[in-house]
Amino acid sequence: MSSPISIADLQDTALIARLQALVAESPVPAAAISAVLYTLQDARGYIDDVALHAAAQLTGLSPVRVEELCTFYSLVLRAPAGRHVLRICDSIACHLAGAQDLLAQAQAYSGVALGEVGLRGALTVVPHVCIGLCDRAPALLVDGEAAGPVDATSLAQWLEQWEADAWKPS
Amino acid sequence: MKRIFYLDGQPVPFTSGQNVLEAAIAAGMARQIPYFCYHPALGSLGACRQCAVKIYPHDDKHPPRVTMACLLPASDHLQLATVDQEVHTEHRKIIELLMLNHPLDCPVCDEGGQCHLQDMTVQTGHAVRRYSGPKRTYRDQDLGPLVHQEMNRCITCYRCVRFYQDTAQGDDFGVFGSRDRVYFGRLEDGPLESPFSGNLVEVCPTGVFTDKVFRHDYARVWDLQQGPSVCPHCAVGCNTLPGARLGTLRRVRARHHPEINPHFLCDRGRYGFRYVTAAERPVRARLHGVHSRQDAVLRQVATRLQEGRSGFLGSPREDVQSNLALFALADCLHAPFAALSSPWMEALAQQCMALPQAPTLNDVEMADHLIVLGDLGGVAPMAELAARQALRHGARLTVLASRPTALAEAGDYRPTRPSALPDLVTGLAEDACLQGSRRPVILAAAETLGPAGVHALRKTLARLPANARAGVFQNSPNLFGAAYFAADGHTVRLQHALRQREIDHLLCLAADPLGSDWGAGIWRSLAPGLQGVTVLDMVDTDTVRAAETVLPMAAFPERDGLFINYEGRIQAFAPVYRREAQVPSWQENTRGFPAAAGGQMHPLGPPTPQYWLGRLAELLDIVKPWQERLTFYQRFLCPIAPRPDHPGILLDDALRARFEIAAAPAAAPVGTEDWELDLFRWHGGEALADAAAELQSLAPSRGLRLNADVDASFATLSGPCGRLRLPVLPIVGMVAGVAALDQEGFAQLGLHPGEAVQIQWETVS
Repeated sequence: MSSPISIADLQDTALIARLQALVAESPVPAAAISAVLYTLQDARGYIDDVALHAAAQLTGLSPVRVEELCTFYSLVLRAPAGRHVLRICDSIACHLAGAQDLLAQAQAYSGVALGEVGLRGALTVVPHVCIGLCDRAPALLVDGEAAGPVDATSLAQWLEQWEADAWKPS
Repeated sequence: MKRIFYLDGQPVPFTSGQNVLEAAIAAGMARQIPYFCYHPALGSLGACRQCAVKIYPHDDKHPPRVTMACLLPASDHLQLATVDQEVHTEHRKIIELLMLNHPLDCPVCDEGGQCHLQDMTVQTGHAVRRYSGPKRTYRDQDLGPLVHQEMNRCITCYRCVRFYQDTAQGDDFGVFGSRDRVYFGRLEDGPLESPFSGNLVEVCPTGVFTDKVFRHDYARVWDLQQGPSVCPHCAVGCNTLPGARLGTLRRVRARHHPEINPHFLCDRGRYGFRYVTAAERPVRARLHGVHSRQDAVLRQVATRLQEGRSGFLGSPREDVQSNLALFALADCLHAPFAALSSPWMEALAQQCMALPQAPTLNDVEMADHLIVLGDLGGVAPMAELAARQALRHGARLTVLASRPTALAEAGDYRPTRPSALPDLVTGLAEDACLQGSRRPVILAAAETLGPAGVHALRKTLARLPANARAGVFQNSPNLFGAAYFAADGHTVRLQHALRQREIDHLLCLAADPLGSDWGAGIWRSLAPGLQGVTVLDMVDTDTVRAAETVLPMAAFPERDGLFINYEGRIQAFAPVYRREAQVPSWQENTRGFPAAAGGQMHPLGPPTPQYWLGRLAELLDIVKPWQERLTFYQRFLCPIAPRPDHPGILLDDALRARFEIAAAPAAAPVGTEDWELDLFRWHGGEALADAAAELQSLAPSRGLRLNADVDASFATLSGPCGRLRLPVLPIVGMVAGVAALDQEGFAQLGLHPGEAVQIQWETVS
């Protein structure tokens, strides 16, 4: 499928150079797709349509293939996220240890639905598939850092901290 | 030795490599094993967990266990059971889970009555839904004019994406998400781009993908009249199953042919049938452009023929009998006859007929090295699909074409000027790319290759190993059948007679000499010498509009006949339904046929060409000699005509060998500085399919396709028969100095692929 969006639409030559280096050092261009997506997500906050098509063109994959990957892996965000992303594991071990309560608590605090941006742009709460910390259930990822076991009190501390940060003048 | 295993104590024969489910289906025992994700062409996946059987190991160490039949290789004396409590529970529970989110909309679903999910649900006895929670729902996409999507019905068998991405190698359709929120669709709304998108309708075991064209004029499948037919839209001759109701054709589906199209059909074959229901289709006889009584029109044609100044023109898009009937009539009247509208096409037909060892599409799939000349997918999409299957099996592919076609992107693309093809083909036998291949297959777009190229291909084939195969394709269904009795300078003679004013009337059978047939430019320059033109046709063409008398014909699913495909395979098609004429005014049409007097309430649709030609023979008092000749020619060409559901009989090699002319046909020299023309076709374009509105809404825009380096907005082409101004469409990667043009453009200019052309450029800022 041809796409009307090109790599140049990223409008960031340093980023494009970094992405091209990632593709160049991979054995086949398609193998660099995960690294390319993470780099794009770090730089732009999430994978928007421009980033999606750029990733497709850099790796020689079709945009559909890249979208298949983005929608399958929950670490890749296809919608804008808050400054802090809270990924709460809701797979079987964490579910049994009370992940649903944590999810409900965090969502209520954020004031918006799961996956949306709340607390004046400070927070996004998303459920997540197993992160392999079943021994520390219920576990979660706070801005990519694993934490667990987490209880309502420690979760509330994070949330209050972020809320306080959100109100600080920048 | 016959190999068998046992299913519920019944012996089931199998061949090595088959799995248990495949063998059980082949043996007609599919009722015992329900299944979803398995498809004979897509293979086993083991995703749906539906096809459980219990296996009893031969040793005493292992207890019996439940396993998936589609993943279990069949082996000798395997003991399997489905009449078992555990197996039955598995069947029942899996279907209950699959039905969890499925809407209860069978009464309004297009798939109802032909739904695999419906059949399997009934078969396993699941009748009551215990789940009462909310169902998973999706927003549907608009997938264009051919396929309708209803994602809520999905049971995630992955058949669609396996077909689209793996078999058809399309890249604009995929599977998104994970867990219980999996979505099959495109990145955004828009028409599916694959030439095989219509097969989603057939591979989907439920109503997620349904036929959008059928939807406009829907009938339940049990109400359809269906019968074996052959696709008339290209030389491959895929077997089809048209379905009609109340005298109108509603849909076309693929019919199993083991060697040509076991399961699939291209979109041209599936949706091109709408020429039958097009509003412009001539369905009533016309005299001087006005609807008239059949008798009056026939009398006018007979008067013309009696004058003895008539010529006859057949067509490769008509079947064998109609062309022979026309030839026999011309023979009786000692009038000039040609089957093809241009001497160039005649030479091409001769060369194609002389080319031996055509591969079946099965052979193409088994090839280990493919060489493709020209844009195969634009001419015969199903041949391209077969080539793609060979690629999946690890075949190497070399594409010689003037532009990077869809197939070229999947292999080694060698940019080639069409005029250089004959020399390149001659050199293929020594080419390094063919060394070491055991089953090489060469596939070509006949018109791009040209007569000289096909001749060179025959000479090359003689120097290749005996198991090498070569097939050439064009997009009319019956080139061999039409041209057999008229491939020897007949067109030149016919045109000469017209030029010398020996004839002043032309009787055309499904030919469009004043429109877009090859050589139309010359015919148009000769047209002032014509007092009248008579056309028998089933689509509205320029010639039909210009004709003095028009005799409408039954479309292919409305009659029987024979086509001879690119291999020389004679295949028969049967009448599927009887068209009832669309009655514009009750009074007008019934006046001549009062019902009380035993007449017909609704006059029948257009008759067959043989009927018209027979009536003309009657009026001219030559019925007996006409019939004798017709019978003789037909016995000569195909002594045993196959039945409509027969896989076909190959044309006798001795008959084809008569066309082996040693001398190479002359090709016009092209300088390296000259602009030369190549043929552009798209997968939905063909004389009949061009009248199918839904398919044509996807047609690419008309223009002159050339290298993106050319800086011009419009081009004016000059040929021997006229000039043509077209917008310039840049193509990245196209060979410099080559411009691709559609057949209509060639007809207007009076040129052929691989010939030089004068181009004037215009730049509009």
